[in-house]
This record gives sequence, C-alpha cells and structure tokens, in this order.
Amino acid sequence: MSVSRKTLATAAFLALVLPLSACGSGGDNGGSGDASGKVEGDITFQTWNLRANFRSYFDGVIADFEKQYPGTHVKWIDQPAEGYADKISADAAGGTLPDVVNVSPDLVAPLAKAGLALDLDKAAAKYKKEYLAGAWASHQIPGTTGTYAFPWYLNTGPLFYNKSLFKKAGLDPDSPPKTYDDLFADALTMAHKSDGKVATLANVPTIEDFGRYGVELMNKQGTAFTFNDTKGVQLLSKYKELYDAKALDPQALTATPESSGKKFLTEAVAMNPGSALDLGNFKKQAPNLYKNIGITDQITSTGHVNMYVMGVMVNSRTKRTPAAVAFAHYVTDAEHQMSFARKVAIFPSTAGSLEDPYFTKEDGTDETRVRIAAAKSLKNAVNYTPVLFSDQMKTALRNEVAKALQGKESPKAALDNAVKACDTLLQQQG
Amino acid sequence: MTTSTVTRVRRQLPSSPWLFAAPGLLITGVFILYPFVSTVVNAFTDRRTLVPGKFVGLANFRELLHDDMFWIGLRNSALYVVCVVPALVVLPLLLALLVRKNIPGITFFRSAFYTPVVASIVVVGLIWVWLLDERGLVNSLLETVGVGRVGFLSDQWLLLFSAMAVTVWKGLGYYMIIYLAALANVPRELHEAASVDGAGAIRRFLTVTVPAVRSTMVLVAALSSVAAFKVFSEVYLMAGPSGGPAGEDTTLVMLVQRTGTGLTGRVGYASAISLVVFVVTVALMLLVLRADRRDES
Repeated sequence: MSVSRKTLATAAFLALVLPLSACGSGGDNGGSGDASGKVEGDITFQTWNLRANFRSYFDGVIADFEKQYPGTHVKWIDQPAEGYADKISADAAGGTLPDVVNVSPDLVAPLAKAGLALDLDKAAAKYKKEYLAGAWASHQIPGTTGTYAFPWYLNTGPLFYNKSLFKKAGLDPDSPPKTYDDLFADALTMAHKSDGKVATLANVPTIEDFGRYGVELMNKQGTAFTFNDTKGVQLLSKYKELYDAKALDPQALTATPESSGKKFLTEAVAMNPGSALDLGNFKKQAPNLYKNIGITDQITSTGHVNMYVMGVMVNSRTKRTPAAVAFAHYVTDAEHQMSFARKVAIFPSTAGSLEDPYFTKEDGTDETRVRIAAAKSLKNAVNYTPVLFSDQMKTALRNEVAKALQGKESPKAALDNAVKACDTLLQQQG
Repeated sequence: MTTSTVTRVRRQLPSSPWLFAAPGLLITGVFILYPFVSTVVNAFTDRRTLVPGKFVGLANFRELLHDDMFWIGLRNSALYVVCVVPALVVLPLLLALLVRKNIPGITFFRSAFYTPVVASIVVVGLIWVWLLDERGLVNSLLETVGVGRVGFLSDQWLLLFSAMAVTVWKGLGYYMIIYLAALANVPRELHEAASVDGAGAIRRFLTVTVPAVRSTMVLVAALSSVAAFKVFSEVYLMAGPSGGPAGEDTTLVMLVQRTGTGLTGRVGYASAISLVVFVVTVALMLLVLRADRRDES
C-alpha cells in the first residue's frame, strides 16, 4: 500500500490537533444545577493533602455514603498541599475539575466568577441553617449574590510564646502581652535586652494582621481596597520601629509561615501564632521549648480573632448534581465534622457543634485547654482575609511592606502603592 | 528476495521515514510546538487562567516597559549571566585539569565533585538556606572568627550572590565532565613539545590547553548562559516565593511563574514576559556563537 506525503502530513496534523481538541474549557455541557433529582452515579471528590493522615477516615465516610445511597460511587482524589491552587486552575481550565472539591474562600472566588462553582443558595438552601451563619457567609463573594461552598472545618489558634526568653529579657513570663501596645513594648525590650539576638516576631504584617488591628480592608461594595488608612499606616510604622530595633526578625522580609515556625522551634524568636496541633510538634521536636511554652490569646483590636475556613465546593458543570451536592453536604454535616474534629485539631462549622463537651470540658491537659479556648473564640471569629485577595495581591502587599520596613518608602507611600497595585489586580480579575 | 518484494519495499520507502518519525513528531508537536505557539498567541491577548481573553495587540509589551518588577527581573537575570557564566566556563576547566591526573584516590574526588549535579535542587537549596541562615553554620563560624553575622538571606544583593554561588557549585561537576572529555582529545605531544620549548604550566595552559578546548568552552558558555538567564529554582528556594526583600531578587522566570499561575493568573501578560525571555535567550546563543566564529576567523 502506498501512502502519499500529503496524506501522511494530514494524518500527522490531525494526530497533533485531535488530542488538543480535548483540551479547553470543557464547554457548557455540564449539569443543570438542580440538586433535587435522585442521588446516583459516579462522582469524584478532591481533598487538599488529607490522604496521608486521614485515609481510613475518608474511606469510611465514602463507604457509608455509598451504602446510604445505593448506585453511587465516589472516587477520592487527594492533591499535595504544594501547588494546590495551580492544580485546581489547570483542572478548571482543562474542564476536568472534580465534582466535589475541597477549597478555601480565596480559591472559590475566581471559580465562582468563572461560573464553575454551584450556587448553594439556590441548589442547597435547605442546608443553610445547619451551619454557623459566619461560616456559611465565608464563601460569599462581594459584588455577587450566592454562596459557593459548604463550610467545612474552621481553625484558629493562640499565640505561643517562649517563657524562658521572656524571663531572660526581664519580662514577666506569666503576663504575656494582651494588647498591641503591650506587644510592641515587650518586643522592643526583648530586642534591647538580648542585644538584637532574639526577635519577638518573625513575620511581616499580612492582610490578616491589618484586619485584626482594626484596619478597614475593603470598601463595602468590595470594589476597592482601603487598608492605607490612618490605622494601617500606624501599624506599619510600628512594625518599622520593631524592624529597626531587630525586634522583628531580620529575615522576616523573606519568611514563610514554615520558616518562622522553625525559628520559634529553635528559640530564635519569642512569639509565634499557631494551633492546638503545634503543641504535639513542640513536644516531639523541641522538648526544651515545650517545657517553657506559654499560651496566650491572639492579639486583636477588634475583639474578634482570625479564623481560617475550609469549604467543599460543588462543580457547577457536574453531570451528577444531586449526588455531588448530597456528598458535599454529607462530608460537612454536623455528625461527620464532629467525628473529623476528634481526629485532628480542627473545629466544626456546624451550628451547635462547638457546644459539645469535647470543646467545653477541661481535662487538665494543655491540648484541651488550647482547644477549649479556640472553640470559645471561634464563636465570634472573623475570616479577615478578603475572598478577593489573590496571591498576586498578597505579593504586592508584602513587597510594599518590605520597602517600608527597609526605609525605601514611607509607610504611607508603601500602603498607597500596595492599595493601587491591589486595585489594579482587582479590576483585571473582572 | 523476489523482484515483487523489492518493488514493494521501494514503493513504501518515501512514506516509511514519516511513520518512523511520527511518534517523535507527535510528542514534539504536543509538548513543544503547541505550547510555544500558544504562548506567542497568548502574549497578544489579555487571557487569564479562567477567562479566554481577547486580542490586545502590543498592550502587554507596553505594560512591561512600565512594570518595575519586569526591569528588576531583567536586571537580576542579566546579572546572573554576567556573574555565573565566566565562573562556569573557567572553574570546571581548572577542576577537570586537577582530576584528570591518575593519582591514588582521584576517583573519589571526581565522584565528590559530581555529586551536587545529581542532588535534587530542592535539597541543595534547603541545605544552603540552613547553612547561610542568621544562626546557621556559616554565620556561627564568621561570628567565631570575629566577623559577626552576615545577612546572606536578608540582604538583597548578598542573597542574589549566594544563589549564584549555589548555581556555580552545583554546575561545576557537570561542566567538569564535559571538559574531561575534551581534554582527553588533546594530543599529549603538544604539551611535550611546549615543555621542550621551555613553556611553564601556566603558559602551556594558555597556549595549548585553552586553544584545544576552545570549542568546548564556547559550548559551555552557550549552555550556561541560557541556563543562567532562565534561573528559577535556586533563587526561588533561597529568596522565597516573593523574590527576596521587596521582591528585589525576582528573576524573569520567577516573574512568569508568579504572574501567570494560580486561579487569578494573568496568562497573557506572563506569556509576554516568556516571549521576552525566549528572545533574549536566542540572542545570547547567537552572541556566543558569533563571538566564536569571529575568533576562529
């Protein structure tokens, strides 16, 4: 059989192009968004770095769901923590987003704007009352209507401090700072007494810190950032003072939460935010530190501590909307959130769950004390990070804050520039 | 072989090469050609991760001209080439001259010099971050000898030069192997003749060794300049995702990653930066090859 060059070239071209045609946005051939039909069919469920430690828990949840709804099959996918947003964006752009996805509010916002997240106020409004009002609202996006993910677990935590370092600096180890003024004063004392060798803080202020300090982060419409107000400038000026006195670690400008955690473990810094989970790490990795660990409340000028919210989103283009909604609700309902909370130091977002004796009754251990304090503060906690605050905006703020700390710009100019950059990025997001 | 079989084979010949090449062509097309064309097209659009975008002409390139971070990235990437390439052309050659001698235990040193090449860049980066930390081994030693602590990871220039040092340290072994192969082809007689004429070690190196391995040096210069201009991992690991203090250590490839990835990534703008990286890289290659040709003539 002879094959002409032309035919071969055509075949090669088609071979090249046809696989590519599978890529793309996935089109609009998804489900209807109606969750009222029969719960059946195959769905995929994606979690965020949970398989390594909680495999048996999720296997059990999935098995129970499939038993409760015969004819359903849940395929569980777990993605590593690193690059999770990139994985979701690749799936979203390629039309391969799983049916049910573990998300945080900042991940939901762009997906909802692109029409990829199911509006639960329409598809699952009957479940709304099962959750804490603040948690349900955490997946709403300013400028749009609707709620785009079931609230899942919440987290918050105290401020850990090193009693030994406090004592060496002549500070009362049993009287940690409770206000920002106390914190700044103690930090300067610590730096002065240690000749600049021990810093009190290891991180530059983030958007969450500005929020906790009482700075208005965005306008009411969610169309512009406002954290360059007098309070914002005041906070940054204070941090500049700390940086100059080495009360803020010199490597704070390039620090990550992981690196500052290590600095606290090695007793290079005196205070670090954390969660009940960290106590186990201190015990295992830094027994000396654990012996001297002090625990105090997050410092806030607003009366509301910061909380982190995890959610479970339903892909609006799923072909199995009833099953996907039912499963997302099943994973996040009071019973399952409570059983998950007993396995790891997280807190349920379902109404009434925080009243469970597990979150209210002391047993004399530090872990329980931290858990009870955190559960109490969660009742009026706030997720300060605006859902529209993207990674690019975080970098823009961080870089301007660094310029102010280095003295290259005044705190006011730095925050003005950061707001300008974030507003531009916000407009570009559409 | 019968006459009919020969005829059939001959008739199949024109198409057969294409069939053999098809898998390779397909892979090249899907994983290299298509992404490249796609990047070029995207560079002229305002495409974002989840939004297809529309044609915006040269708007992305105009924006680049006014983007401080782009100029910082270009400065750092260019500086990387200027500092790293000479080191990677000369030092591995000296190392190769040292380890090609057949003395007892030399295999150990050859392997030791090559070990950083096979080590994961993430592991290498983390080790150097620990070593250069404010309380790391290097600073402890400096403090012991009375120099005091140095902010290797907090000063923008020290951080960049530290990352360059890691790149050179990690690349030495790779280029050393290339030079060893080249040195093996240098006739021993040339060295002997030069020695008889009274040339010392340095003169022999300059008049015999260097001319003999000149084409290899050009190859190393070309390879290392392209790699240096596209540097990402070392700087990312040591300076952090934000690119050092105030982003001052950001390189162009880091800027592409930061701008174009994530759910709110500006794919169009990042593609425009990628295109600039591509053009500069090709220009660097041409520059090196042209310099080589001029020297030859």
